[in-house]
Amino acid sequence: MKKLLFLSLFFIQVTSFSQEANQLLERVVAKITSVKDYSVDASIKTDIPFIKILPVKAKIYFKQKDKFKIVSKGIVILPKQGFTDVNTFLSKTNSYMAVDGGTKMIGELKTSLITVIPTSENSEFVLAKLWIDPKNAVIISSQITTRSSGTVNVDYFYSSELAFGLPSELIFEIDIKKFKMPKSVAADINNYKPKDKSKKKNENKKGIITIKLSNYIINKGINDAIFEKK
Amino acid sequence: MLLKNIYNEFIKILAKPRSYIGIGALTLLICIILFAMKADGSSFISFVTSSFEQTLSFNGTILNGNLIAFIILQMLIVHIPLLVALVTGDLISGEAAMGTVRMLATKPISRTKIVISKFIAGAVYTFILTLWLIFLSLFVSKFIFGSGDLIVLNSEGLVILKEQDILWRYGLSFIVAFLSLLTVSSVSICFSAFAENSIGPIVSTMAVIILFTIIGSMEVSVFQNIKPFLFTTHMASWRSFFEDPVPYSKIFNSIIILVVHNVILVSIAIFKFNKKDITS
Repeated sequence: MKKLLFLSLFFIQVTSFSQEANQLLERVVAKITSVKDYSVDASIKTDIPFIKILPVKAKIYFKQKDKFKIVSKGIVILPKQGFTDVNTFLSKTNSYMAVDGGTKMIGELKTSLITVIPTSENSEFVLAKLWIDPKNAVIISSQITTRSSGTVNVDYFYSSELAFGLPSELIFEIDIKKFKMPKSVAADINNYKPKDKSKKKNENKKGIITIKLSNYIINKGINDAIFEKK
Repeated sequence: MLLKNIYNEFIKILAKPRSYIGIGALTLLICIILFAMKADGSSFISFVTSSFEQTLSFNGTILNGNLIAFIILQMLIVHIPLLVALVTGDLISGEAAMGTVRMLATKPISRTKIVISKFIAGAVYTFILTLWLIFLSLFVSKFIFGSGDLIVLNSEGLVILKEQDILWRYGLSFIVAFLSLLTVSSVSICFSAFAENSIGPIVSTMAVIILFTIIGSMEVSVFQNIKPFLFTTHMASWRSFFEDPVPYSKIFNSIIILVVHNVILVSIAIFKFNKKDITS
Protein backbone atom coordinates (compact mmCIF):
# COMPACT_ATOMS: atom_id res chain seq x y z
CA MET A 1 0.00 0.00 0.00
CA LYS A 2 2.86 2.35 0.94
CA LYS A 3 4.63 1.47 -2.32
CA LEU A 4 1.50 2.24 -4.32
CA LEU A 5 1.10 5.57 -2.55
CA PHE A 6 4.77 6.41 -3.19
CA LEU A 7 4.48 5.52 -6.88
CA SER A 8 1.28 7.60 -7.22
CA LEU A 9 2.94 10.59 -5.58
CA PHE A 10 6.00 10.16 -7.81
CA PHE A 11 3.82 9.99 -10.93
CA ILE A 12 1.86 13.09 -9.88
CA GLN A 13 5.13 14.92 -9.19
CA VAL A 14 6.65 13.97 -12.60
CA THR A 15 3.43 14.94 -14.39
CA SER A 16 3.36 18.31 -12.67
CA PHE A 17 7.05 18.88 -13.53
CA SER A 18 6.31 18.02 -17.16
CA GLN A 19 3.30 20.35 -17.17
CA GLU A 20 5.43 23.17 -15.74
CA ALA A 21 8.05 22.52 -18.40
CA ASN A 22 5.43 22.53 -21.13
CA GLN A 23 3.89 25.75 -19.84
CA LEU A 24 7.25 27.50 -19.74
CA LEU A 25 8.15 26.21 -23.20
CA GLU A 26 4.75 27.34 -24.51
CA ARG A 27 5.55 30.87 -23.32
CA VAL A 28 8.93 30.70 -25.09
CA VAL A 29 7.29 29.37 -28.27
CA ALA A 30 4.61 32.10 -28.09
CA LYS A 31 7.38 34.72 -28.16
CA ILE A 32 9.14 32.95 -31.01
CA THR A 33 5.98 32.67 -33.11
CA SER A 34 5.04 36.30 -32.45
CA VAL A 35 7.90 37.20 -34.79
CA LYS A 36 6.58 36.62 -38.30
CA ASP A 37 9.65 38.00 -40.00
CA TYR A 38 12.72 40.05 -39.27
CA SER A 39 15.84 41.45 -40.84
CA VAL A 40 18.94 42.24 -38.82
CA ASP A 41 22.54 43.39 -39.29
CA ALA A 42 25.03 40.78 -38.18
CA SER A 43 28.69 40.94 -37.33
CA ILE A 44 30.14 37.43 -37.43
CA LYS A 45 33.43 36.52 -35.80
CA THR A 46 34.67 33.03 -36.50
CA ASP A 47 37.30 31.34 -34.39
CA ILE A 48 37.54 27.83 -35.76
CA PRO A 49 40.60 25.58 -35.76
CA PHE A 50 41.97 24.99 -39.29
CA ILE A 51 40.09 28.03 -40.69
CA LYS A 52 41.49 31.57 -40.82
CA ILE A 53 38.87 34.20 -41.56
CA LEU A 54 38.41 37.84 -40.57
CA PRO A 55 35.15 39.09 -39.01
CA VAL A 56 32.39 39.57 -41.59
CA LYS A 57 29.36 41.88 -41.73
CA ALA A 58 26.14 40.50 -43.15
CA LYS A 59 22.39 41.04 -43.31
CA ILE A 60 20.15 38.25 -42.08
CA TYR A 61 16.55 37.79 -43.22
CA PHE A 62 14.07 35.42 -41.58
CA LYS A 63 10.43 34.69 -42.34
CA GLN A 64 8.13 32.16 -40.71
CA LYS A 65 8.15 29.23 -40.87
CA ASP A 66 11.65 28.45 -41.99
CA LYS A 67 12.78 30.94 -44.62
CA PHE A 68 16.29 32.10 -43.91
CA LYS A 69 18.75 34.10 -45.98
CA ILE A 70 22.12 35.63 -45.24
CA VAL A 71 23.41 38.34 -47.56
CA SER A 72 27.04 39.40 -47.44
CA LYS A 73 29.68 40.79 -49.77
CA GLY A 74 32.11 38.14 -48.62
CA ILE A 75 32.16 34.53 -47.49
CA VAL A 76 30.29 33.86 -44.24
CA ILE A 77 30.67 30.76 -42.10
CA LEU A 78 27.71 29.83 -39.93
CA PRO A 79 26.97 26.80 -37.80
CA LYS A 80 24.94 24.24 -39.70
CA GLN A 81 22.57 23.77 -36.77
CA GLY A 82 21.25 25.95 -34.00
CA PHE A 83 20.54 29.26 -35.68
CA THR A 84 16.88 29.36 -36.71
CA ASP A 85 16.17 25.66 -36.95
CA VAL A 86 15.82 25.34 -33.15
CA ASN A 87 13.04 27.92 -33.16
CA THR A 88 11.41 26.20 -36.13
CA PHE A 89 11.59 22.87 -34.33
CA LEU A 90 10.18 24.32 -31.08
CA SER A 91 7.31 25.91 -33.02
CA LYS A 92 6.06 22.42 -33.93
CA THR A 93 4.76 21.68 -30.46
CA ASN A 94 3.42 18.24 -31.39
CA SER A 95 6.79 16.97 -32.52
CA TYR A 96 8.48 16.77 -29.12
CA MET A 97 7.97 16.27 -25.42
CA ALA A 98 9.45 18.50 -22.75
CA VAL A 99 10.88 17.30 -19.45
CA ASP A 100 11.73 19.54 -16.52
CA GLY A 101 15.37 19.25 -15.52
CA GLY A 102 15.39 21.51 -12.48
CA THR A 103 17.11 24.86 -12.13
CA LYS A 104 20.62 26.14 -12.72
CA MET A 105 22.32 29.45 -12.04
CA ILE A 106 23.91 30.99 -15.15
CA GLY A 107 25.82 33.96 -13.87
CA GLU A 108 23.40 35.63 -11.51
CA LEU A 109 20.34 34.41 -13.38
CA LYS A 110 18.29 31.47 -12.15
CA THR A 111 17.32 29.39 -15.18
CA SER A 112 15.03 26.41 -15.69
CA LEU A 113 16.49 23.46 -17.54
CA ILE A 114 14.09 21.84 -19.98
CA THR A 115 15.05 18.78 -21.93
CA VAL A 116 13.29 18.52 -25.27
CA ILE A 117 13.00 15.03 -26.74
CA PRO A 118 11.59 14.58 -30.25
CA THR A 119 8.70 12.14 -30.55
CA SER A 120 9.60 11.08 -34.08
CA GLU A 121 12.35 8.50 -34.53
CA ASN A 122 13.43 10.13 -37.78
CA SER A 123 13.85 13.61 -36.37
CA GLU A 124 17.13 15.38 -37.19
CA PHE A 125 17.20 16.56 -33.58
CA VAL A 126 18.22 13.91 -31.10
CA LEU A 127 18.03 15.96 -27.93
CA ALA A 128 17.88 19.61 -26.95
CA LYS A 129 18.66 20.97 -23.51
CA LEU A 130 17.35 24.48 -23.01
CA TRP A 131 18.22 26.75 -20.11
CA ILE A 132 15.33 29.21 -19.96
CA ASP A 133 14.90 32.47 -18.09
CA PRO A 134 11.42 31.85 -16.58
CA LYS A 135 10.81 35.54 -15.92
CA ASN A 136 11.30 36.72 -19.53
CA ALA A 137 10.53 33.37 -21.21
CA VAL A 138 13.66 33.40 -23.36
CA ILE A 139 16.36 30.81 -23.95
CA ILE A 140 19.60 31.74 -22.20
CA SER A 141 21.64 28.74 -23.22
CA SER A 142 21.09 25.58 -25.24
CA GLN A 143 22.79 22.34 -26.03
CA ILE A 144 21.51 20.78 -29.22
CA THR A 145 22.44 17.32 -30.39
CA THR A 146 21.62 16.45 -33.97
CA ARG A 147 22.19 13.37 -36.09
CA SER A 148 24.40 15.03 -38.67
CA SER A 149 26.20 17.83 -36.82
CA GLY A 150 26.88 16.42 -33.37
CA THR A 151 26.47 18.71 -30.38
CA VAL A 152 26.27 22.50 -30.60
CA ASN A 153 26.26 24.72 -27.50
CA VAL A 154 24.71 28.16 -27.89
CA ASP A 155 24.71 31.07 -25.44
CA TYR A 156 22.09 33.79 -25.98
CA PHE A 157 22.39 37.41 -24.87
CA TYR A 158 19.51 39.86 -25.07
CA SER A 159 19.10 43.61 -25.11
CA SER A 160 16.55 45.76 -26.99
CA GLU A 161 14.48 42.95 -28.54
CA LEU A 162 14.00 40.93 -25.37
CA ALA A 163 10.23 41.33 -25.71
CA PHE A 164 10.35 39.36 -28.99
CA GLY A 165 12.83 36.83 -27.67
CA LEU A 166 15.37 37.91 -30.28
CA PRO A 167 18.99 37.90 -29.11
CA SER A 168 21.57 40.64 -29.58
CA GLU A 169 24.43 38.19 -29.42
CA LEU A 170 24.83 34.47 -30.00
CA ILE A 171 27.88 32.43 -29.15
CA PHE A 172 28.08 29.00 -30.77
CA GLU A 173 30.49 26.31 -29.60
CA ILE A 174 30.89 23.58 -32.18
CA ASP A 175 32.85 20.34 -32.37
CA ILE A 176 35.29 20.48 -35.28
CA LYS A 177 36.75 17.25 -36.56
CA LYS A 178 40.44 17.10 -37.36
CA PHE A 179 41.13 18.58 -40.78
CA LYS A 180 42.83 16.11 -43.07
CA MET A 181 43.74 17.06 -46.61
CA PRO A 182 46.44 15.30 -48.65
CA LYS A 183 49.21 17.71 -49.66
CA SER A 184 48.92 16.62 -53.28
CA VAL A 185 45.25 17.62 -53.28
CA ALA A 186 45.99 20.96 -51.66
CA ALA A 187 48.90 21.41 -54.11
CA ASP A 188 50.97 22.21 -51.06
CA ILE A 189 53.54 19.48 -51.55
CA ASN A 190 56.57 21.41 -50.39
CA ASN A 191 55.15 22.49 -47.07
CA TYR A 192 56.91 20.16 -44.65
CA LYS A 193 56.47 20.43 -40.92
CA PRO A 194 57.72 17.75 -38.53
CA LYS A 195 54.88 15.79 -36.97
CA ASP A 196 54.01 16.66 -33.39
CA LYS A 197 53.86 13.24 -31.74
CA SER A 198 52.34 14.64 -28.56
CA LYS A 199 49.09 15.40 -30.41
CA LYS A 200 46.48 12.67 -30.47
CA LYS A 201 45.22 11.33 -33.77
CA ASN A 202 41.74 12.43 -34.88
CA GLU A 203 41.60 14.84 -31.98
CA ASN A 204 38.42 16.94 -32.12
CA LYS A 205 38.62 20.65 -31.37
CA LYS A 206 36.12 23.29 -30.39
CA GLY A 207 35.18 26.11 -32.71
CA ILE A 208 33.55 29.36 -31.60
CA ILE A 209 31.31 31.51 -33.77
CA THR A 210 30.14 34.81 -32.28
CA ILE A 211 27.27 36.60 -33.99
CA LYS A 212 26.40 40.14 -32.86
CA LEU A 213 22.96 41.24 -34.05
CA SER A 214 21.76 44.82 -34.28
CA ASN A 215 19.17 47.01 -36.02
CA TYR A 216 16.33 44.50 -35.96
CA ILE A 217 13.37 45.26 -38.21
CA ILE A 218 10.57 43.04 -36.93
CA ASN A 219 7.21 42.12 -38.47
CA LYS A 220 7.43 44.72 -41.24
CA GLY A 221 7.00 42.13 -44.00
CA ILE A 222 9.77 40.71 -46.20
CA ASN A 223 9.38 39.94 -49.89
CA ASP A 224 9.71 36.22 -50.67
CA ALA A 225 12.00 37.06 -53.59
CA ILE A 226 14.78 37.81 -51.09
CA PHE A 227 14.87 34.16 -50.06
CA GLU A 228 15.21 32.86 -53.59
CA LYS A 229 18.63 31.49 -54.44
CA LYS A 230 20.78 33.64 -56.71
CA MET B 1 75.62 45.67 -79.30
CA LEU B 2 74.17 43.61 -76.48
CA LEU B 3 70.76 45.28 -76.91
CA LYS B 4 70.81 44.63 -80.66
CA ASN B 5 71.71 41.01 -80.05
CA ILE B 6 68.90 40.66 -77.49
CA TYR B 7 66.53 42.08 -80.11
CA ASN B 8 67.84 39.62 -82.71
CA GLU B 9 67.49 36.71 -80.32
CA PHE B 10 63.93 37.71 -79.50
CA ILE B 11 63.09 37.95 -83.23
CA LYS B 12 64.48 34.41 -83.59
CA ILE B 13 62.17 33.23 -80.78
CA LEU B 14 59.18 34.90 -82.45
CA ALA B 15 60.06 33.36 -85.81
CA LYS B 16 59.88 29.81 -84.45
CA PRO B 17 56.44 28.14 -84.53
CA ARG B 18 57.16 26.33 -81.26
CA SER B 19 57.12 29.70 -79.45
CA TYR B 20 53.40 29.91 -80.13
CA ILE B 21 52.74 26.35 -78.95
CA GLY B 22 53.26 27.53 -75.35
CA ILE B 23 50.84 30.43 -75.64
CA GLY B 24 48.33 28.31 -77.55
CA ALA B 25 48.53 25.43 -75.07
CA LEU B 26 48.18 27.84 -72.15
CA THR B 27 45.10 29.43 -73.71
CA LEU B 28 43.53 26.04 -74.41
CA LEU B 29 44.27 24.70 -70.91
CA ILE B 30 42.83 27.75 -69.19
CA CYS B 31 39.74 27.75 -71.43
CA ILE B 32 39.16 24.07 -70.52
CA ILE B 33 39.50 24.84 -66.80
CA LEU B 34 37.16 27.84 -67.09
CA PHE B 35 34.60 25.72 -68.96
CA ALA B 36 34.87 22.91 -66.37
CA MET B 37 34.41 25.35 -63.50
CA LYS B 38 31.47 27.05 -65.16
CA ALA B 39 29.85 23.67 -65.85
CA ASP B 40 30.48 21.97 -62.51
CA GLY B 41 32.40 24.27 -60.19
CA SER B 42 30.05 23.61 -57.28
CA SER B 43 31.30 20.02 -56.88
CA PHE B 44 34.84 21.38 -56.61
CA ILE B 45 33.70 23.81 -53.90
CA SER B 46 31.97 21.00 -52.06
CA PHE B 47 35.24 19.05 -52.19
CA VAL B 48 37.15 22.00 -50.68
CA THR B 49 34.69 22.51 -47.83
CA SER B 50 33.79 18.84 -47.30
CA SER B 51 35.88 18.49 -44.14
CA PHE B 52 33.68 21.06 -42.39
CA GLU B 53 30.32 20.48 -44.05
CA GLN B 54 28.92 18.39 -41.20
CA THR B 55 29.03 21.26 -38.76
CA LEU B 56 29.42 24.45 -40.78
CA SER B 57 27.71 26.07 -43.72
CA PHE B 58 29.63 28.29 -46.12
CA ASN B 59 27.59 31.20 -47.47
CA GLY B 60 28.47 33.71 -50.17
CA THR B 61 29.98 33.61 -53.64
CA ILE B 62 32.71 31.05 -53.09
CA LEU B 63 33.16 30.20 -56.77
CA ASN B 64 34.50 33.50 -58.07
CA GLY B 65 37.21 34.81 -60.37
CA ASN B 66 39.78 35.03 -57.58
CA LEU B 67 39.34 31.35 -56.67
CA ILE B 68 39.42 30.26 -60.33
CA ALA B 69 42.67 32.22 -60.84
CA PHE B 70 44.18 30.46 -57.82
CA ILE B 71 43.04 27.03 -59.07
CA ILE B 72 44.49 27.75 -62.53
CA LEU B 73 47.82 28.80 -61.06
CA GLN B 74 47.96 25.70 -58.87
CA MET B 75 47.19 23.40 -61.77
CA LEU B 76 49.43 25.02 -64.37
CA ILE B 77 52.53 25.63 -62.32
CA VAL B 78 53.39 21.96 -63.00
CA HIS B 79 52.91 22.27 -66.76
CA ILE B 80 54.17 25.74 -67.63
CA PRO B 81 57.86 24.81 -67.11
CA LEU B 82 57.49 22.45 -70.07
CA LEU B 83 56.17 25.30 -72.23
CA VAL B 84 59.07 27.52 -71.15
CA ALA B 85 61.70 24.80 -71.69
CA LEU B 86 60.25 24.09 -75.13
CA VAL B 87 61.51 27.47 -76.29
CA THR B 88 64.49 28.25 -74.05
CA GLY B 89 65.96 24.73 -74.31
CA ASP B 90 66.48 25.37 -78.01
CA LEU B 91 68.21 28.74 -77.73
CA ILE B 92 71.85 27.52 -77.85
CA SER B 93 71.51 23.90 -78.96
CA GLY B 94 69.22 24.98 -81.81
CA GLU B 95 72.07 27.08 -83.22
CA ALA B 96 74.36 24.07 -83.02
CA ALA B 97 71.78 21.79 -84.65
CA MET B 98 71.14 24.19 -87.52
CA GLY B 99 74.83 24.97 -87.95
CA THR B 100 74.37 28.70 -87.35
CA VAL B 101 76.48 28.70 -84.18
CA ARG B 102 79.68 29.37 -86.19
CA MET B 103 78.15 32.38 -87.89
CA LEU B 104 76.87 33.60 -84.52
CA ALA B 105 80.35 33.32 -82.98
CA THR B 106 81.93 35.36 -85.79
CA LYS B 107 79.84 38.40 -84.85
CA PRO B 108 81.70 41.26 -83.16
CA ILE B 109 80.27 40.29 -79.76
CA SER B 110 81.76 38.10 -77.07
CA ARG B 111 80.40 34.60 -76.45
CA THR B 112 79.52 35.67 -72.92
CA LYS B 113 77.30 38.42 -74.29
CA ILE B 114 75.73 35.97 -76.75
CA VAL B 115 74.65 33.72 -73.85
CA ILE B 116 73.47 36.72 -71.80
CA SER B 117 71.44 38.05 -74.73
CA LYS B 118 69.88 34.61 -75.21
CA PHE B 119 69.09 34.45 -71.48
CA ILE B 120 67.45 37.91 -71.56
CA ALA B 121 65.49 37.08 -74.74
CA GLY B 122 64.32 33.86 -73.03
CA ALA B 123 63.38 35.90 -69.94
CA VAL B 124 61.30 38.27 -72.08
CA TYR B 125 59.49 35.28 -73.62
CA THR B 126 58.91 33.82 -70.13
CA PHE B 127 57.60 37.20 -68.97
CA ILE B 128 55.15 37.37 -71.89
CA LEU B 129 53.98 33.84 -71.08
CA THR B 130 53.49 34.85 -67.41
CA LEU B 131 51.61 38.02 -68.44
CA TRP B 132 49.33 35.95 -70.67
CA LEU B 133 48.76 33.61 -67.74
CA ILE B 134 47.84 36.61 -65.53
CA PHE B 135 45.46 37.97 -68.14
CA LEU B 136 43.65 34.69 -68.74
CA SER B 137 43.58 33.38 -65.19
CA LEU B 138 42.77 36.54 -63.29
CA PHE B 139 41.08 39.02 -65.61
CA VAL B 140 39.12 36.63 -67.83
CA SER B 141 38.09 34.57 -64.76
CA LYS B 142 36.89 37.70 -62.98
CA PHE B 143 35.00 38.76 -66.10
CA ILE B 144 33.22 35.38 -66.28
CA PHE B 145 32.78 34.51 -62.59
CA GLY B 146 32.88 37.93 -60.91
CA SER B 147 34.97 38.89 -57.92
CA GLY B 148 34.77 37.86 -54.26
CA ASP B 149 36.60 36.53 -51.22
CA LEU B 150 39.19 33.84 -51.83
CA ILE B 151 39.24 30.46 -50.11
CA VAL B 152 42.75 29.04 -50.13
CA LEU B 153 43.05 25.34 -49.43
CA ASN B 154 46.22 24.34 -47.61
CA SER B 155 47.20 21.00 -46.15
CA GLU B 156 46.73 22.64 -42.72
CA GLY B 157 43.28 24.12 -43.31
CA LEU B 158 41.47 26.93 -45.05
CA VAL B 159 42.47 30.57 -45.28
CA ILE B 160 39.72 32.96 -46.34
CA LEU B 161 41.01 36.26 -47.69
CA LYS B 162 38.95 39.39 -48.23
CA GLU B 163 38.32 40.53 -51.80
CA GLN B 164 40.10 43.87 -51.24
CA ASP B 165 43.10 42.05 -49.77
CA ILE B 166 43.78 39.82 -52.79
CA LEU B 167 44.99 41.83 -55.81
CA TRP B 168 48.34 42.86 -54.28
CA ARG B 169 48.92 39.22 -53.31
CA TYR B 170 48.36 38.16 -56.92
CA GLY B 171 50.69 40.93 -58.13
CA LEU B 172 53.55 39.80 -55.90
CA SER B 173 52.88 36.10 -56.41
CA PHE B 174 53.09 36.56 -60.19
CA ILE B 175 56.52 38.19 -59.78
CA VAL B 176 57.72 35.17 -57.76
CA ALA B 177 56.06 32.79 -60.24
CA PHE B 178 57.95 34.60 -63.04
CA LEU B 179 61.22 34.15 -61.13
CA SER B 180 60.44 30.43 -60.76
CA LEU B 181 59.81 30.08 -64.49
CA LEU B 182 62.95 32.10 -65.20
CA THR B 183 64.89 29.50 -63.21
CA VAL B 184 63.41 26.79 -65.44
CA SER B 185 64.52 28.89 -68.42
CA SER B 186 68.06 29.07 -66.96
CA VAL B 187 68.14 25.30 -66.37
CA SER B 188 67.18 24.64 -69.99
CA ILE B 189 69.66 27.25 -71.34
CA CYS B 190 72.37 25.60 -69.23
CA PHE B 191 71.52 22.16 -70.65
CA SER B 192 71.26 23.75 -74.09
CA ALA B 193 74.90 24.88 -73.86
CA PHE B 194 75.96 21.25 -73.45
CA ALA B 195 73.74 19.78 -76.19
CA GLU B 196 73.86 19.65 -79.96
CA ASN B 197 70.12 19.09 -80.49
CA SER B 198 66.89 20.66 -79.16
CA ILE B 199 65.18 17.64 -77.65
CA GLY B 200 67.93 16.79 -75.15
CA PRO B 201 67.78 20.04 -73.10
CA ILE B 202 63.96 20.09 -73.07
CA VAL B 203 63.67 16.48 -71.87
CA SER B 204 66.55 16.92 -69.41
CA THR B 205 64.93 20.04 -67.91
CA MET B 206 61.63 18.27 -67.41
CA ALA B 207 63.41 15.20 -66.00
CA VAL B 208 65.21 17.38 -63.43
CA ILE B 209 61.96 19.15 -62.47
CA ILE B 210 60.12 15.84 -62.05
CA LEU B 211 62.99 14.30 -60.07
CA PHE B 212 63.35 17.31 -57.75
CA THR B 213 59.57 17.57 -57.28
CA ILE B 214 59.37 13.91 -56.27
CA ILE B 215 62.26 14.35 -53.84
CA GLY B 216 60.56 17.47 -52.47
CA SER B 217 57.20 15.80 -51.98
CA MET B 218 58.57 12.76 -50.15
CA GLU B 219 58.38 13.27 -46.42
CA VAL B 220 61.52 11.27 -45.75
CA SER B 221 64.01 12.66 -43.29
CA VAL B 222 66.99 11.76 -45.49
CA PHE B 223 65.84 14.33 -48.09
CA GLN B 224 65.02 17.08 -45.61
CA ASN B 225 68.57 18.49 -45.73
CA ILE B 226 68.56 18.64 -49.55
CA LYS B 227 65.04 20.01 -50.02
CA PRO B 228 65.73 23.65 -49.04
CA PHE B 229 68.32 23.90 -51.83
CA LEU B 230 66.23 22.45 -54.67
CA PHE B 231 64.77 25.13 -56.92
CA THR B 232 61.54 23.11 -57.28
CA THR B 233 60.94 23.54 -53.53
CA HIS B 234 60.80 27.30 -54.06
CA MET B 235 58.82 27.22 -57.31
CA ALA B 236 55.61 27.08 -55.28
CA SER B 237 56.61 29.96 -53.00
CA TRP B 238 54.16 32.24 -54.86
CA ARG B 239 51.55 30.42 -52.76
CA SER B 240 53.02 31.90 -49.58
CA PHE B 241 51.54 35.30 -50.47
CA PHE B 242 48.12 33.73 -49.83
CA GLU B 243 48.98 32.76 -46.26
CA ASP B 244 47.91 34.92 -43.35
CA PRO B 245 50.18 36.42 -42.09
CA VAL B 246 52.45 36.42 -45.15
CA PRO B 247 55.76 34.69 -44.29
CA TYR B 248 57.99 37.34 -45.87
CA SER B 249 61.25 35.86 -44.57
CA LYS B 250 60.37 32.49 -46.12
CA ILE B 251 59.52 34.15 -49.45
CA PHE B 252 62.68 36.26 -49.34
CA ASN B 253 64.69 33.09 -48.74
CA SER B 254 63.01 31.46 -51.76
CA ILE B 255 63.77 34.50 -53.93
CA ILE B 256 67.45 34.35 -52.92
CA ILE B 257 67.66 30.61 -53.67
CA LEU B 258 66.02 31.12 -57.09
CA VAL B 259 68.25 34.11 -57.97
CA VAL B 260 71.36 32.15 -56.92
CA HIS B 261 70.22 29.24 -59.12
CA ASN B 262 69.78 31.62 -62.08
CA VAL B 263 73.22 33.16 -61.59
CA ILE B 264 74.96 29.79 -61.22
CA LEU B 265 73.15 28.17 -64.16
CA VAL B 266 73.76 31.09 -66.55
CA SER B 267 77.41 31.22 -65.41
CA ILE B 268 77.78 27.50 -66.20
CA ALA B 269 76.17 28.11 -69.61
CA ILE B 270 78.56 31.03 -70.29
CA PHE B 271 81.57 28.98 -69.19
CA LYS B 272 80.55 26.01 -71.36
CA PHE B 273 79.72 28.15 -74.40
CA ASN B 274 83.06 29.94 -74.13
CA LYS B 275 84.85 26.57 -74.10
CA LYS B 276 82.64 25.11 -76.86
CA ASP B 277 84.46 23.81 -79.91
CA ILE B 278 82.49 25.23 -82.84
CA THR B 279 85.03 24.35 -85.48
CA SER B 280 84.33 20.60 -85.63
